[in-house]
Amino acid sequence: MSLRKQTPSDFLKQIIGRPVVVKLNSGVDYRGVLACLDGYMNIALEQTEEYVNGQLKNKYGDAFIRGNNVCLFFFFPVLYISTQKRRM
Amino acid sequence: MADNVDQQQTTNTVEEPLDLISLSLDERIYVKMRNDRELRGRLHAYDQHLNILGDVEETVTTIEIDENLNTAILPIFLYEEIYKSTKRNIPVLFVRGDGVVLVAPPLRVG
Repeated sequence: MSLRKQTPSDFLKQIIGRPVVVKLNSGVDYRGVLACLDGYMNIALEQTEEYVNGQLKNKYGDAFIRGNNVCLFFFFPVLYISTQKRRM
Repeated sequence: MADNVDQQQTTNTVEEPLDLISLSLDERIYVKMRNDRELRGRLHAYDQHLNILGDVEETVTTIEIDENLNTAILPIFLYEEIYKSTKRNIPVLFVRGDGVVLVAPPLRVG
């Protein structure tokens, strides 16, 4: 990705709607679709699942995470899978 | 130049996570807090610090470690984790925002 002006807001437009993993300071993992995000790192996720060691709870609908608890979040790069069969 | 102004206006209309919490006002919610505490109740009000006001039932989950020494012969130290939870009902509760970890609609455990 090349850096341009307005990169932060453009970046937010790109990642909103992507599946993300949010890791909290307490070590708990939340996986869901990123609904929105603000400057405090407060995060709103949809269809969230909570992982502590194993899978604990499922949350459907919106889950709001307070930004000070967020350690990191990362999203998966888009995979392009070809639907055409290879001919050997 | 006009395009830049238009772009800024469209980015301002993106909702913040706090705006989405306002959709849950006067609804039942589930709040996860530090120290293994959970709240379930009705959201009356909130603010940008995530101070929350509502009438709730609080569940505190504690893990006690029960050390079982019956197998002293084996060089393995066995212990059992006992999950205890205590509940209490509070008609009006003000929660300071820095203890809040997560806010969500109540869990529907299928």
